[in-house]
Amino acid sequence: MKNNFLIDRRTCLKGIGASLALPLLETMGWAEPERDNPFKPPVRIGFMYMPHGVIMDQFWPTSPETYLSEPPPALESLRPVLDQCLLMKGISGVPIAPFNGAPHALELSTWLTAVLPDADRRNEINIAISADQIAANYVGGLTSLPSLELATMPQTHKENQEGLNEGYYSHCSFRSPTQAVPAEINPRTVLNRLFGKSDSPGKFTRADPLDRQMLDLVIGGAKDLRRKLPRDDQHKLDEYLDSVRCVERRIAAIETRQKEAALEAAGVSVSKRNDSDSPPIEIKIPEGDKRSEYMQVMCDLNVLAFQTDTTRVSTYIGSTPNGVSYPELGFTNEHHSQTHHNHESEKVRKVAAITEFNISQFAYMIKKMHSLREADGTLLDNCIMMWGSGLEDGNKHARENLPFIIAGRGGGSIHTGRFLADTRGNQGDLLTTLLACAGIPLDRPIGIATKEIAAMRNPL
Amino acid sequence: MTVPKTSICGALAITLLALPCLAQPAEDAEDAQFAALRADAKKSFEEGVAPFVKTYCAHCHGQNRQKGGINFQPALNNPGNADSAKRWKQALAAVKTHDMPPEDQEKQPTDEERQKFPDWIAKIKYLSAKDPGSFVIRRLTKTEYANTLHDLLGVDPAIARDLPDEVIGAGYLNTLSPLQSELYLAIANEALDRVLAPEDAPPTRLQERLFGNPPEPGADPRAAARHVATGLARTAYRRPPSAAELDVLMDVFDLARENKLSYGASLRLMLKAVLVSPQFLFITPADDATSDDGIVPLDDHQLASRLSYLLWSTMPDPELAALADRGTLHEPEILKAQVNRLLEDDRSRALFDGFGAQWLGLENLEDKTFDPVRFPQMTPEIRSAMIDEARLFFGSIVRENRNVVTFVDGDYTFLNETLATLYGMEESVTGPEMRRVKLQNANRGGILAMPGILATTSFPGRTSPVKRGVWVLEQVLGEHVPPPPPNVPALEKQDRKTIENLTLRQRTELHLTDAVCANCHRILDPIGFGLENFDAIGRWREQDDAGGTIDAAGELPGGKHFTSPAELKAIIAGRAGDLARNLTQKLLSYTLCRQLEGYDEIVVDQLMKTMAGDGYRMRTLITEIVASYPFTHRRIQEQTAPSPHEK
Repeated sequence: MKNNFLIDRRTCLKGIGASLALPLLETMGWAEPERDNPFKPPVRIGFMYMPHGVIMDQFWPTSPETYLSEPPPALESLRPVLDQCLLMKGISGVPIAPFNGAPHALELSTWLTAVLPDADRRNEINIAISADQIAANYVGGLTSLPSLELATMPQTHKENQEGLNEGYYSHCSFRSPTQAVPAEINPRTVLNRLFGKSDSPGKFTRADPLDRQMLDLVIGGAKDLRRKLPRDDQHKLDEYLDSVRCVERRIAAIETRQKEAALEAAGVSVSKRNDSDSPPIEIKIPEGDKRSEYMQVMCDLNVLAFQTDTTRVSTYIGSTPNGVSYPELGFTNEHHSQTHHNHESEKVRKVAAITEFNISQFAYMIKKMHSLREADGTLLDNCIMMWGSGLEDGNKHARENLPFIIAGRGGGSIHTGRFLADTRGNQGDLLTTLLACAGIPLDRPIGIATKEIAAMRNPL
Repeated sequence: MTVPKTSICGALAITLLALPCLAQPAEDAEDAQFAALRADAKKSFEEGVAPFVKTYCAHCHGQNRQKGGINFQPALNNPGNADSAKRWKQALAAVKTHDMPPEDQEKQPTDEERQKFPDWIAKIKYLSAKDPGSFVIRRLTKTEYANTLHDLLGVDPAIARDLPDEVIGAGYLNTLSPLQSELYLAIANEALDRVLAPEDAPPTRLQERLFGNPPEPGADPRAAARHVATGLARTAYRRPPSAAELDVLMDVFDLARENKLSYGASLRLMLKAVLVSPQFLFITPADDATSDDGIVPLDDHQLASRLSYLLWSTMPDPELAALADRGTLHEPEILKAQVNRLLEDDRSRALFDGFGAQWLGLENLEDKTFDPVRFPQMTPEIRSAMIDEARLFFGSIVRENRNVVTFVDGDYTFLNETLATLYGMEESVTGPEMRRVKLQNANRGGILAMPGILATTSFPGRTSPVKRGVWVLEQVLGEHVPPPPPNVPALEKQDRKTIENLTLRQRTELHLTDAVCANCHRILDPIGFGLENFDAIGRWREQDDAGGTIDAAGELPGGKHFTSPAELKAIIAGRAGDLARNLTQKLLSYTLCRQLEGYDEIVVDQLMKTMAGDGYRMRTLITEIVASYPFTHRRIQEQTAPSPHEK
């Protein structure tokens, strides 16, 4: 992990494809055993989004000193785990000129890219690889799923702001500058595909080694076809072939797990889990359509995916900027309509309530991670979870002090329990620092970043 | 999109050299005429556009300064290429609305120059080389994939329901997330489980059709398998497979055999490989085409697929496939006859689902939020009836080959009882089924007065005259409305004291007091207010939300007065040429899966000429687009990207 370079996922997967016969999880991923701690768990990194900004004076702590004892109303739900969290005021977003008429198309799409779309190709997806996908490129090859993308509303909203591609409105993960990664919105589907649990027996997740070899032949056979295509089209084909490679890997990983399970059953210990680790959490798919339950089951799935090391990178779009309404809070107004509150107290109250609601879902996830034992600490100790919004204030569309909450110590790299009241940095700096803390080497800073934010780090 | 960068002179020289090579006299004449137009365009560019831009624009938008990220230098160097076309469009809109040059600039164009500018810009298209554009390959959409599986294997199209809905932009589909990537394999497994018999059971009829009889004892199973592979690939790839492609399928067969699978089970693995192959999931060219000028006609198989996916959203049926095999599909008479055959079939509703709904802006209606207190009527039933109304209306114009102006002035629609309540016609229209209804009230009828469209162009709680105005201008008349300048507060945020006693109309008219806003709003707002008699879900009303009487009167540029939706519709319908041109451009862009550029404008001109001579009829439009040069040809680009998959 010393080299400073980005592994292209293709290269990575190709390499892995060649060594599929080896049980991967044995050879890569978990850090070398230390004397007292046979397996040091890997760092996982997750992002959770809320659109339209916050009510600033209800979000920021009054001072670093009172941060833990008298948290602001928006953070109340996090009170028991505030010592596991880090707040920084003074992180600015990407200036959005010349797209001034597109604050909402850009709040989400610049959130993990820290850069604007290409103005000359605005009708296409043309932005930059996002921070989560950079992480997935590096550590994604070590788990059966490179990354997990979740959302709680469809990403098909059509709104053409400043002539920008509609995809910008509801996506934040970009596998490459031209590929937006869609998120899964159905918890049952996530459960089925993550863990092969299914209501209809025989469906999905068969680990058939013949399928794996068959896919390999299909990929090899696409070579001729590829040669005939113009360059733009080759990229589209490559994208599909990459996804086939990904399936190959999934099958291989499942085979490995099956072998491990067989060995365990025969009394040979191969697991990297410690006996004291908490057992995998239970997932209950809610029956009704309460928003809190929906958001929480997605949190649970994220926790379970991290706990079982099924993936180490997750992105969870709590809602996209076209917004939802929150009947549970006693009003049916749609989120966005209230954020243009013009300081009317009723609307301000509603925006504050929506913000608290969203943060309390994040708090739910953080508390759960904090309750799970892993190695000599908790699951949260080995995670970096970022909650935030792409606007500071939905009333003015300001982006000077973007609200972010960092939770988890990232395996000891992040100094939590603090409020840094005067952080001078931008969104790119923050993402660059987080990836560095997660041990992801970068060949260049992310988006508009100019530096790492050293104050976030644990002094060594 | 990469376009060869040739200077104007270079492009001209190439065309002139190419002229004598063309064999047909008709094409000769056409090309000669084109060359004349081009010479004229070159002159007007050099004497009109270039000096105008250099004098009034280049100071801020040139090589030295690029305000707003806009630099005209590349467009001045290559006026006819695709990227430049976007620039010219921007320039035209800005000059037309007097947005540019800014008022505080000393040098201002004369009125005469401003008037001539649009004419000069309009000629730039003749500077583009004759180019069909490349054939944009794309993965089948969710709908196309589901329909194709159905046609191939007889499975319920719902088998693909877990695939993500796609976001489409300029021919691109979104990608699959890691979680979703195994879906194609999972769906293939599921489909084969459903349609193939288990190992020891007698084969299903489909199995017999696809796999034939097992080889006689002693016969070569590989020879038999190769024969099966040839048939499977021809159907599923929608073209004859290459020898190399068959070899891959045979490798899969051999893999299965090496693993001690039976002959039947080995064929099953082979079929599974077909279903996850890019050749199945993408529409791909059949052979290595070559040509001196880099442009080739589509081969008949590709043409069959393009046509079938356009009009039916599924693979070519046996008749189309047979014409492709015979190599006659591209003959204009045969091609046009096939368009008509496909449009007669019910499957042609795919054209509405894929294009019509997008054009009219109805794809989000099912999920759009409405204030549940104010509009409890917006149930899922009524929303789906609204969409059905638009679909059936669209379909009737296609099937009856009506004048496209019918979209605006049609005097009939399709209703069921639920939807009829919005029309106040629930007494005469009863029952759940949609049926054709003649409309007596001239304010009703056509897309401007259709509830689904009136609802999508409203806010959750009230109408939006501005949104409706923009919709009519952009979607119906094809005009480009620039986005509002930054830092303009929306209506909600206007100073409360000044607006307290104003109606929505008076508040909106505040736009006209600001010169920047007035440029666009003097056209937008009258149209929107002309439709104010329709509430946010399309019901007729005489009074607005505040109880004031609705004033639907207005005037459009050119002194055209109207006092009711009926009169407004008549004015819009009077612009048949604009209406037809807009629809032609949108449909052509949809069929080609890309934005229109350079030479396409000339194709649109030709289509418009044919349309005008035929009363602007819808089916004629579709037929002519299918027979057009960019639909039937493609540019082959040089291929340079190194393959990451070659070992």
